[in-house]
Amino acid sequence: MNRKKIVIDPITRIEGHLRVEIEIDENNIVQEAWVSGQLFRGIEIILKDRDPRDAGLLAGRICGVCTNSHFRAAVSSVEDAYSLELPKNAEIVRDLMAMALFIQDHVVHFYHLHLLDFVDITSALNADAKLTYKEAFRYSDEPFHNSYTHYEATLEKLSKFIKAGKLGPFSNAYWGHKAYKLTPSQNLILFSHYLEALKFQAEISKAVAIFGGKTPHPQSIVVGGVTSVSDILNPQRLNDYLFIIKKAKDFIDRAYLPDTKLLAIAYRDEIKAGVGRSCGNFMSVGGYEFEGEKKLFCDGIIYNHNFNTIEDFNELKISEEIDRAWYENESSQNNIKYTDLNKDGSLKTAKNDDKYSWIKAPRYDGNVMETGPLARVLISYTKENKLIKSFVNEFLEASNLEILDLSSSIGRNAARAIETSYICEYTFKLISRLIQNIKYYDTETWVKFNFNSLKKNAKGRAFLEVPRGTLSHFINIENKKIQNFSVIAPTTWNATPKNFDGIRGPYEAALIGLRITDPLKPLEILRVLHSFDPCLACAVHVINTNGKELSRYKI
Amino acid sequence: MRVLVIGGGIVAVYLANKLKKENSSIDITLLSDEDTLPYDRIHLCRLVDGSEDIEGIRLQLNPMIKIELNQKIIKINRKKQRVFSNNSMFSYDKLIIATGSLPISLFDIKGISNCALFRNAKDCKKIRDGIENKEIVVVGSGPIGLELLDTLNKMPNVSHITLLLRAKHLYSKYLSSDALKIIEESYLSSGKIKISYEDEITEKIIKNNQLLSLRTKKLHIDHPFLIFGIGIKPNIEDFKKYLATNIGILTNSYMQTEDKNIYAVGECAELETLGFIAGHVKECTLQADCAISHLLQEELKEFKTGTSVDMLKVGKFDLVEVSSPKFSNSYEKVIIYSKEDSRVDEYFLNEKRLTKFIGINSNVDLAYIETLINSNNNVDIDYLYENRLISEKGRLICSCEHLYQQDLVDIVTKTAISSFGELATFSQAGRVCGRCKMMVQDLIKESQYLIDPNVPRKSIEDIHREEEINKVQKRIDKFNRLNPRNNLDANNLEVAMESLEIAKHEVNSWISMVTANMQLHPNFEVVVQESIKALNKIPIIWLELADCSGNSEAFIKSTNPSIEELIFDYISLDYHELLMSASGEQSETVLEDIIKNQKGAYILIVEGAIPMAMDGKYLRIGAKGETGLALLQKCAKDAAIVLAVGSCALDGGIVAAAPNPTGAVGVAQALNREDIINLPGCPTNPINIVGTLLSYLMFEELPTLDKLNRPLWAYEGRVHDNCERRGHYELGEFVKEWGDIGAKKGYCLFEMGCKGPYANVNCPTMKFNGGVSWPVQAGHGCMACTELGFADKYANERKYVEDEKSE
Repeated sequence: MNRKKIVIDPITRIEGHLRVEIEIDENNIVQEAWVSGQLFRGIEIILKDRDPRDAGLLAGRICGVCTNSHFRAAVSSVEDAYSLELPKNAEIVRDLMAMALFIQDHVVHFYHLHLLDFVDITSALNADAKLTYKEAFRYSDEPFHNSYTHYEATLEKLSKFIKAGKLGPFSNAYWGHKAYKLTPSQNLILFSHYLEALKFQAEISKAVAIFGGKTPHPQSIVVGGVTSVSDILNPQRLNDYLFIIKKAKDFIDRAYLPDTKLLAIAYRDEIKAGVGRSCGNFMSVGGYEFEGEKKLFCDGIIYNHNFNTIEDFNELKISEEIDRAWYENESSQNNIKYTDLNKDGSLKTAKNDDKYSWIKAPRYDGNVMETGPLARVLISYTKENKLIKSFVNEFLEASNLEILDLSSSIGRNAARAIETSYICEYTFKLISRLIQNIKYYDTETWVKFNFNSLKKNAKGRAFLEVPRGTLSHFINIENKKIQNFSVIAPTTWNATPKNFDGIRGPYEAALIGLRITDPLKPLEILRVLHSFDPCLACAVHVINTNGKELSRYKI
Repeated sequence: MRVLVIGGGIVAVYLANKLKKENSSIDITLLSDEDTLPYDRIHLCRLVDGSEDIEGIRLQLNPMIKIELNQKIIKINRKKQRVFSNNSMFSYDKLIIATGSLPISLFDIKGISNCALFRNAKDCKKIRDGIENKEIVVVGSGPIGLELLDTLNKMPNVSHITLLLRAKHLYSKYLSSDALKIIEESYLSSGKIKISYEDEITEKIIKNNQLLSLRTKKLHIDHPFLIFGIGIKPNIEDFKKYLATNIGILTNSYMQTEDKNIYAVGECAELETLGFIAGHVKECTLQADCAISHLLQEELKEFKTGTSVDMLKVGKFDLVEVSSPKFSNSYEKVIIYSKEDSRVDEYFLNEKRLTKFIGINSNVDLAYIETLINSNNNVDIDYLYENRLISEKGRLICSCEHLYQQDLVDIVTKTAISSFGELATFSQAGRVCGRCKMMVQDLIKESQYLIDPNVPRKSIEDIHREEEINKVQKRIDKFNRLNPRNNLDANNLEVAMESLEIAKHEVNSWISMVTANMQLHPNFEVVVQESIKALNKIPIIWLELADCSGNSEAFIKSTNPSIEELIFDYISLDYHELLMSASGEQSETVLEDIIKNQKGAYILIVEGAIPMAMDGKYLRIGAKGETGLALLQKCAKDAAIVLAVGSCALDGGIVAAAPNPTGAVGVAQALNREDIINLPGCPTNPINIVGTLLSYLMFEELPTLDKLNRPLWAYEGRVHDNCERRGHYELGEFVKEWGDIGAKKGYCLFEMGCKGPYANVNCPTMKFNGGVSWPVQAGHGCMACTELGFADKYANERKYVEDEKSE
């Protein structure tokens, strides 16, 4: 068999330095894939020997995209170590920031980083405004900004926009590529929403800043609570937050969600063919409790797309492997073992023990796991989470799909949109709870503790569902200093390299069998990778020095 | 400090005024030996013909300066630092001698009623009163003599004047005969004047304090009125006993005499090493500046001889002479002479360099001539010839300020000034050497009718700003001409904005915000807007190295309105991993293309640190596996400017925090360059990046930078000083623990480890995410992320102590 290797680096429209190498056969079908993180910074090494209270501000800088996720996870792991119980308000404020981040991240990802993999802008120019108006009703009962004149105006804008010359994404994309399937009307609908999304994202980021001080890198979380108490006591601030979310929900329900329906209908063949389907193992730690029992997301493990038997998540089963990542277990300097690239700059992949990535290989009970919105939706749905079930059913009915179909590139986007709509709904309940609390004079935002009288040695961990999936931080405190810090981020799971066993990580698995129309314009590859929403700064973490078993952090 | 100034002339007054202005606490006293308040000697002619009285030529003395008249100095006690006059004693800390010079006469004329010098107001009165029906004899033809001659020539009660010259020519031996002819003609045409060359007084008859007759080599004159205009000598008789003198009082280059407390300036001083004695007002005032700088021990100014400019405007001709200290007799000369226009331009060359220029009724640009003389460039005669006639600005009025007639008219019409006094705020014309003061006054008067009463008056700032804005506008136009890439015209951004439904008023308010943030006057908004449109012409490479994309995120998510994003993402960012759609090889081609084809034209923005350990292999980018360092070096080499955005790019930031596992450094260190502009912050406020790019475009130069190479306009203010909670700090109202009553009330966060006092950046005023909040507002306090080593020093919630590690 005549195989050809293709290197794609950098993968753009993602956070960080991601490289993909694929082998295709004579029919341009992907036979093998290697995914590699190309940057190592060593934030965990830097965290060592520091005051545990500083972990949040520093670990937050792991990523500027998932910024408040790491900030919160690091602080939570310290609180876990010292068994500090947060005041309700502090937990809610952290959740409110997280929810706004979910909404922001998902919308930006879909429109800003991913949509042009599907939309051919030039085709939209040929759309008929009246037909487009009718077309929009196929995906929503009350489509966003849907009117004949609106599309007329959008068409005019579009032609001006294109005439205006070199307009970034519109000029560089792979126009005319055979993989573009949408009709002119469909392209026009999506393009008009693309423009709306530009305005949307600036607004929604304000919601994070209201309680966080700024975003990226908010600064209002401290061990024991939050600092933005004067903001939560200000009715105007709460109102601002509420209205931003309200506007967001309108856009999400009438544009974002219908747009993913549109893609699901247009690319039905691909979905049914399972394009972008990965390992079939899914993981979620669940979370975001409210009203006592109820949880926004359920925890659970699904193996091999088997939705009938679902296991509960058990953190003891997590391990980290480094067979083929640039680390070693021997106690060398920071456990790093960089084996370099080949002379031509390609990854060393010839032998099945060649190391090829800075991303370590987390495993659940020895298995690779896909994590993220798709995993959350599948697990919560399967576990009969009443809150989310109706959202999923509605989508599946409207697009005439089954639950398994969501396990595909376009399905991941659908799951993301379903989740976003669901989160919006939930956010209203959260903020009402905050208002309720304040009304009854509970203005506590920090649990009082005296750092000097806390125990000297402690271990803690935090498991959080964040926009891209499951995030875990582990901390080991000795003598009031961080002795060890370890992070497994969503992209660490999804972009993991292989082990000696050769089992492919979720990214790698999803690429196998993909047909590439033009190896120089690897649009199909981008679609699959982008559907995971990669975030490489998060993904690369040094392995903890105490060996593979992370469960030993359990107190 | 008590400063005593001896003298009452231009230099004494200039020095006293300036010193008072620089430091108002200095006690200054002027001692003048005249009986009248200081006046401007340059305009003595006006007293002769009576067109002004002495009040008309008064010098303005700061009212806080004391002046004592009729003080004839008789003694100085250097040890006790005292000066004695005929009637008083004055103590000083610093003494400044500015006694000027004395005119020379060929014989003692004291008491003789029809003989006069021409140096002070009394001389003028004597001349004015005594010349009736006399045969006037003027001896000497220096600039002052010629001016007096012209004045006398125009007076109706004067009928005969004889100019007595030892030399064979008028004015200067360097002039060509054609030039001399023009000068001579202008005097002789009235028929009153007779010039006697190579002549001198041989005999005189004096009786009863009257000069009855004169005999010269060639002439015999009865009942003359004799005026000496032959020269001057330093007025230092009173000081010879106390200080080292030669021709003048000897000084060093700071005009300090052998006594460290005594300075001498102006025509009475002689620079010991140069042997130089000032002859022009400009040199004298320069000496005063040097003395002041030394006396106040501020930025020291050393006196150096430079190019001098002389002007003579009499009757029918203008004469301009520009002369370099390098001028020597071994010159070659190029003359451009037009008989028709009575115009002569004489260029004196020494070894192909211009060393002197004399022009009569000349049209050349004096500023250019001065630059040419001061430069080391060879003279291009063709060029000088080509430009002999350019005179759109009219006559040169003030040689000191290079002010031409049209310049002055422009000032008058723009600012609607109506008097010489009002001119002071706009131009120093007529005030430096003062020679052209009267002309300036006349011109102001003549131009009044040009003032349009409907146009609002402009201040000096307005005018300067307008000039600056015009410059910027020209620069943008030029930029647009030179960069036709992108095929964009000025309307494109508007079209794009329109298509994104960004309202005009939103754009306008954004522009106002950017303009204000750059600390520019609102009038700059127009050009800021123009520059924004032009921004899309600069190719921008945005490299992400060892980073977290936080700064890129700050652009694509957190700005409002979405204008910055529009500008950056959709128009000008040519290479940006997070934003561009082409992946892999295609994106690398874009990069190569910019680097190769846009040398010196593109801007490089770098986000993230550079890992240096392990040969930089902790970061590799692109199919060939280039290290981050190699990529940075490749991109930086031909970049027009390099902006290091974010704290990691400043000094490695969090990535370089101890123990710095990857040996990370900032951009400047990685490239080993000192010209990297740093815009630190975690993340950097996008508005500051926009401002820096705009200022590059508008002013073609780096903005003023601080010691960390951060633009001052964004990083000058201390967070603590501009903080909204500062009032609580002053009142001692502090948050003591998170969530306490102080936190709820928004008290100062200093006790909770706010690093505002150590941070310099505009966060308190610009805030983040469209002005929604900033860390202090969110109750956490600042962590000084814009400063060096912030991750190790400031990224915590404890009060900063200098050496926290030993805690």
